Amino acid sequence: MLENFKESPVMYGIAFSIIAFIFAQSLFFIIKSWKHGKKIGISKETLLNTITSSILFTVAPAVSILVTVIVLANALGLVLPWIRLTVIGNLAYETVAAETALGNLGGSLNQEITDVNQFSTVAWAMTIGSVFPLTFLPIVCKKLQTKIGGAVNKNEKTAKLGDVLSAAAFIGIISAFIARAIAGTNADDPTLNAGVASVCVLVVSIIAMLLLSFVCRKYKLSKMEPFAMPLSMFIGMGSAILLTRFLPDIAAITWR
Amino acid sequence: MQKNYFDRVHIWGATWNYLALLVMFIVPVGISVAYNSWPDLGVIGKVLATLIPLYWVTGIIEVVTYVPMLGAGGTYLSFVTGNISNLKLPCGLNAMENAKVRANSEEGEVISTIAIAVSSLTTTVIIAVGVLAFSPVLPKITADGSIFKAAFNNVLPALFGALGASYFVKHWKLGIAPILAGVIVLLFAPTLGVGILMFVTIVVSLVGAFIIYKDLWYDDLKAARAKKKQ
Repeated sequence: MLENFKESPVMYGIAFSIIAFIFAQSLFFIIKSWKHGKKIGISKETLLNTITSSILFTVAPAVSILVTVIVLANALGLVLPWIRLTVIGNLAYETVAAETALGNLGGSLNQEITDVNQFSTVAWAMTIGSVFPLTFLPIVCKKLQTKIGGAVNKNEKTAKLGDVLSAAAFIGIISAFIARAIAGTNADDPTLNAGVASVCVLVVSIIAMLLLSFVCRKYKLSKMEPFAMPLSMFIGMGSAILLTRFLPDIAAITWR
Repeated sequence: MQKNYFDRVHIWGATWNYLALLVMFIVPVGISVAYNSWPDLGVIGKVLATLIPLYWVTGIIEVVTYVPMLGAGGTYLSFVTGNISNLKLPCGLNAMENAKVRANSEEGEVISTIAIAVSSLTTTVIIAVGVLAFSPVLPKITADGSIFKAAFNNVLPALFGALGASYFVKHWKLGIAPILAGVIVLLFAPTLGVGILMFVTIVVSLVGAFIIYKDLWYDDLKAARAKKKQ
């Protein structure tokens, strides 16, 4: 059993029980909100439109989340990343947690985990590291909703400051990964250090996103907008394939 | 009436939230029990010493940021299912804009909650179907000789390049300092973990935001201080 510990029936059993929980919670809130929406006079059409547009909006980002599951599966198998990206999950968090745990055990996400103890340590680190918001959210949510919600909506200036700070925090996260693509190293596999390939993918995906967003705005293709992000990501990844295939010597250049 | 509904949402949210907390621990506990493999507490301590300052500080910032934007129901759901900034937040905001309702209104609460719940269901289904469909072919796709290997080696630059582009267009001034800081830190500490690097870039980005957008808070701060003196 331990040979296939990453994709055993136990792991699938855990995954399906988590999925059942997510379904129950989501359906509970849909039913309660739907009933209350009708009660306060929101039309059935608006409620149905919300459901349809949310499904469409979600498809493309969900596919990109699926890609990250597959990426992490290289080291962790399919089921653990699947579970982790279904609850609380977020590529940045899960990657950092797994890499930090493996780093302390002399491993890395670039290699397949073959030791069950490393696997269990990664699962504990991912869980404990990420559950904190759930412990205090119920305590502060009500106060925040009334106080900060009111303060942020107090005037245009505070609303803008709120937007700017939340964008800044997010840009901070993105910047770390961009800096790694420009100047990062990989202790286990120096061929994956920052170099022509990583910068090419970074630049191509940025340009693709800017172009696709521009096209969506220019031709008023608002329904295509949610697809711009995953499509740009695939275009960026595709550039790595082309570069490696047609200019392998240049693609292999690293400067770290 | 309005107050009653919001109160009920908080009770439901808190209950599901704490249930989710228990459910989440099924994963590591289940793995440890099934394989009789409990992690070394020393190693877990070391790992958490790195992760907690980053995750927990970010967690506080996220809670404070998202609650006013998503309302109570949407926030409770988002924090259980994750992928907030790249999916749940834009999805909730998009739905409220389409329905022409404001966040923090009763209508906004209903629409945001439905949008985020539907988004959670859709994501869960897509990932589950994708995982089950991909499991037989995955080893071939990511194998060393595979044509796709180069692409999978570069998922992170692709993802954060695409994700960053739209933010940098709107807030290009905010992007320069944290990227520069990240590169400089990596030049001197090339093996630095992403966790610590991210902490540095978030702090630099927030400090930069406070300096660049000084006009949004400095006058109010001065006025508040003057009022206090009186």
